[in-house]
Amino acid sequence: MTSDVSQFLKGVKEQGEQGKLVYVGESLARIDGLEKVLGKPVYTGDMLARGTVHAKLFHSSLPHGKLIEVDLSAAKAMPRVLDVLTWKDIPGINESSAVIPDRPFFASSVVRSTADILGAVVAETEGAAREAAEAVKVTYAPLPAVFDPIEAMKPDAVRVHEGGNVAKEMRIRKGDVEKGFANSSVVVEKTFRTQFQDATPMETEVGMAVPAFDGSITVIGSMQSPHHTRAALMKMLNLPADRVRVVQAVTGGAFGPKSDETPYDVCGTAALAALRLKRPVYCAMDREESMVMHTKRHPYVITHRTGASADGRLQADEVELYLDAGAYASLGVFVIGRGIFHCTGAYEVPNVKADSYLVYTNNTYAGSFRGFGGPQAVFAIESQMEDLARKLSLDPLEFRLKNMLVAGKRNATNHLIDGSCGLPQCVEKVVTSSDYWNKRKVFADQVGRLKKGMGMALLMHGNSLGPEGNDYGAVLLEVGRDGVVTVGTGLTEFGTGAVTGLIQVAAATLGVPLSWFRLARPDTSRHRESGPTVASRTVVVGGNAALVAAERIRKRLVLVAADVLMVPEGRISIRDGVAFDETDSTRSIGWAALAAEAHRRGVKMSEDGFFMAPPTPWDTETGQGSPYLQYTWGALIVEIELDEETGVYQVTDVHAAYDVGKAINPTGVIGQIYGGTVQGMGYAMMEELVHRDGKVVNHSLADYYIPTSMDIPKSFHSFIVEVPGPLGPYGAKIVAEPPIVLPAPAIRNAILNAAGVAIDDLPITSEKVLMAIKKARAAKYPS
Amino acid sequence: MSKHFITMTVNGRERSLHVDSTDSLLDVLRNRLDIKSVKDGCGTGDCGLCAVILNGRLVNSCIVLAAQCRGAQVTTLEGLLEDPQMKSLQGRFLKYNAAQCGFCTPAMLVAAKDILSRTVRPTEDDIKAGISGVLCRCTGYYPIIQAIQEASEGRSR
Amino acid sequence: MAGFDIYVPTSLADALSYMEEFGEGTTVLARGTDLVPRLKRRQVTASNLLDLSGLELDLRYVRVDGGSLRIGALTTVSDLLESPSIGKELEVIRDAGSKFGDPQIRNVATVGGNVCSASSSEDLIPVLLALDAKLKLSSSKKERVVPLKEFILGKRTTFRKSGEILTEVEVPQLPSNSGSAYDKLGRRNTLIIALVNMAVVLTLEPDLETVLKASVSLNRVSGRIPQRATLVEGYLAGRRLTSDAVAAAQGILANELSLGSDFRASGEYRADVAKVFLGRLLGRCVSRIRGS
Repeated sequence: MTSDVSQFLKGVKEQGEQGKLVYVGESLARIDGLEKVLGKPVYTGDMLARGTVHAKLFHSSLPHGKLIEVDLSAAKAMPRVLDVLTWKDIPGINESSAVIPDRPFFASSVVRSTADILGAVVAETEGAAREAAEAVKVTYAPLPAVFDPIEAMKPDAVRVHEGGNVAKEMRIRKGDVEKGFANSSVVVEKTFRTQFQDATPMETEVGMAVPAFDGSITVIGSMQSPHHTRAALMKMLNLPADRVRVVQAVTGGAFGPKSDETPYDVCGTAALAALRLKRPVYCAMDREESMVMHTKRHPYVITHRTGASADGRLQADEVELYLDAGAYASLGVFVIGRGIFHCTGAYEVPNVKADSYLVYTNNTYAGSFRGFGGPQAVFAIESQMEDLARKLSLDPLEFRLKNMLVAGKRNATNHLIDGSCGLPQCVEKVVTSSDYWNKRKVFADQVGRLKKGMGMALLMHGNSLGPEGNDYGAVLLEVGRDGVVTVGTGLTEFGTGAVTGLIQVAAATLGVPLSWFRLARPDTSRHRESGPTVASRTVVVGGNAALVAAERIRKRLVLVAADVLMVPEGRISIRDGVAFDETDSTRSIGWAALAAEAHRRGVKMSEDGFFMAPPTPWDTETGQGSPYLQYTWGALIVEIELDEETGVYQVTDVHAAYDVGKAINPTGVIGQIYGGTVQGMGYAMMEELVHRDGKVVNHSLADYYIPTSMDIPKSFHSFIVEVPGPLGPYGAKIVAEPPIVLPAPAIRNAILNAAGVAIDDLPITSEKVLMAIKKARAAKYPS
Repeated sequence: MSKHFITMTVNGRERSLHVDSTDSLLDVLRNRLDIKSVKDGCGTGDCGLCAVILNGRLVNSCIVLAAQCRGAQVTTLEGLLEDPQMKSLQGRFLKYNAAQCGFCTPAMLVAAKDILSRTVRPTEDDIKAGISGVLCRCTGYYPIIQAIQEASEGRSR
Repeated sequence: MAGFDIYVPTSLADALSYMEEFGEGTTVLARGTDLVPRLKRRQVTASNLLDLSGLELDLRYVRVDGGSLRIGALTTVSDLLESPSIGKELEVIRDAGSKFGDPQIRNVATVGGNVCSASSSEDLIPVLLALDAKLKLSSSKKERVVPLKEFILGKRTTFRKSGEILTEVEVPQLPSNSGSAYDKLGRRNTLIIALVNMAVVLTLEPDLETVLKASVSLNRVSGRIPQRATLVEGYLAGRRLTSDAVAAAQGILANELSLGSDFRASGEYRADVAKVFLGRLLGRCVSRIRGS
């Protein structure tokens, strides 16, 4: 961090301690809320100009095969068809991959999954494009295929890519697990399996391209990272940066896939067609296409062998984590990292041996999705904790308390946890709120077919990108002549409210209410690279950049105000949009007048703030170091009611506490807790994108179930804990992803408490519960 | 493919147009009448984002054939912007952060209006049931329910 | 959707004469909640639709007539839920209606459309089967009444002749001491294709303990269409409804059911839940009978 930022942060911390904070810590209405409740046409598909034509992608019907022939003649002859694109029409590099260049833009010689895109039809209407896309005749020479990551790692397995099926490996070597097992009186060994989950943002992936007279192209679309999208388009279109402009439209939900390849596919197709036809082109995936073609959450197979000593202390954990990448690595290259770093969860294990493998199969493909390896890893370790507790005859909470990370302890990467750890406070909040100890006693003696149960899970969640790359953000603040502050950044809003939080930081720094701020659409031609909007880092990293920009402008304005008011600059404060003399507040100048005066004097009223988080040192051989600069902590207790005759269960109560460092916008934070928890419940209970022989069977909302308003728990208690961290503005920690992680293990553990059955694969359907109950009964009472 | 001449009242305005037999009411609203608040989330009647009020009832416009809307009264969010109950709902949605990405918001507001126009003092369960056909992926539903509940309790808060 | 023509009849008579001439290649369209999604997904094609929606005056009603409940084919599920004409003994209709789809679907889906779709995903069919519903099939020449039991031939196949339109569903009056109930299982609490659903209609003897008649139907019994569980019904008829009798009936149901597995659920699980439903729904019927 540069010295002026750290000085400023110190001052801000002091201000906060003196209770002088404004705008930060307030539940202000989000800056983009009004247009949404007014139903304004601000999404990409709402803004199509007359004359816009439609592109429809067509994809492989086989999970693995050589492309022999793609016959476009019938499609081209159909009414209102303007163009049909395939790999032959790509002017630049035939590539659409987020990290490893293993994925083509349009398949040319081989298809590796049914998500592989072969080309696009462009027609006057969407219907005509769709009809023609179905008339494309593809001849494949089918190849054998592999659909399971463990199978795919065998030496004689079908090769998905020439270089072999293991796209990446990672490891952790901490201490000596054999010594650890020697010290263990109980050892639990188990394999856990998780499923493909679909992000299901309410708006699917869409993009519109408008060509300009000079051969340049502007694309607006639904996405998380306009700069990454532009980079991908530049490569595919063979155009320089000043010829490709990408603007993020208001985006109807994202959750991860919109930061992977699909925006490149959709926007790139629209752009290519627009350049060829010299007409605006809209390329949209409908829901069913989106569910096949965009990235999903990685299924994991995780085996733990975990030992604990008789006094209830974890001694050793040997872990193997296999990710089913599907046909392409995408962001799996980083998911594997987060997964392995979190494989022992929120606990101190002195000896850890972990190996993780990102494995290609011929399933569709996986990438980013809220939690990013965390939900899978934590499901496994939290289940292990529960099972170990039972074996040790310890209460599961007691066992967790003995082992959980607090200041002075070290996690799986041997990172020393410091005083910014708010885990104990989170635990205390949920234990009290749920009346845990009493309820556990009551639940121990239940009769009848309806059984209640309580389950918990704890969270350590590494903040921001960690070792995935340079972790920086940039925010452009422009104060206009009229005082309106325009905020421009490549960091995108898509529902989380994080950009409002970032603006609140700027507002607090400048001393000006939110009503003066205007958010510009993220635009690669105006806003510089700010890194991808992922890893929940907008407030933590972007907030710091906003703070830097705001502080620099504030300093200049203070000088102007001092001059105008004829007061030494040290006595000038700006608060509530008024600059005034602290010793005599009648000597003041209003914000708009101050801005106008500054402009008149030629003072620079725009500032491009930049913040880069320090590098995170860790050793790739041992997986040891500090891959994250700070952690968000959390605790979740759920109460369920389970019908032992049908296996059907409801989550009746949720108690959730998250240490977010500083809640820049408390209502916004609670909103993420509600939303993430319900999405996590979907993951735990009902969501499963089923592949059969590489084909997605339930790629429709009629058969892929996400929670409705009838599925949410009757009562939901959420708590914000604030133990400031070292990285974010005002000590903020990330909040958007963490709440999705804990529901699955908490529910699994509640079911174990209620009915005595351990379900080790997701989703936990009522069928799995009933079958487990029947099996347990049969074992207990053999006929 | 047959063509049909239909006249319907959309947001209080009489609109007459020729539609194809395969056009859905959603197609007509968005693409012919420029009414964009109604969204396409799935196209098959499974998400509710296209919900409108048709002849006094909440329906999924993506699976209603336009040709069957002869003489229909259709109301979308655009037609409710001056409605005091809707304004109250919108204010509460902002207060409770019930619109995050906003894509389900028009449908939720129309469903909320439908609930309030049929039940004077809806319970929490009434509200949950009333919006049970509109999917939201962002909010977890609680802020939406809270907003509708408060709006139903009268204006002075 | 692939293109089709829609014929809009000016009257019921016009619709029937259209069907007389063109019924063979015509798909009858009520309000499309089943047909339109299937057309959109290319699960079915149609070249010719007959649009009945303008005939609500003739076909949308719920009335009691000489004890029977007569339901016009264009009556929506919401109409059923809101109708004051449906007595307490027919609570099964409200049970099923309230769990049917979601509010938007209930407002549009019609009874006629449901019945003629003849699929295990149509929740009203098991209910109407258990109620021994009769269907009025009208053609330009005549009307005939067919028991619903005999109407469904197989998955999405019915005995409707090409010139006929289903115009009315008749639910015969239940004897006194009758009650009914319905339940449904899915992967979440609403807007689901049923994994299992069941409708039970029970008539007890005046002693309120012995079964005079039991009708039990499910979305699937041994095929892919809704059917009555006749072996269970045969067992229960005339029997005192003790917990042993219920347990025995559940055993008979397990044998009678031959349910397939798919990615949604296994046949074994569906049968397990069906057994549980039988016990609970019989109990609920008894409570409802005794309660009134």
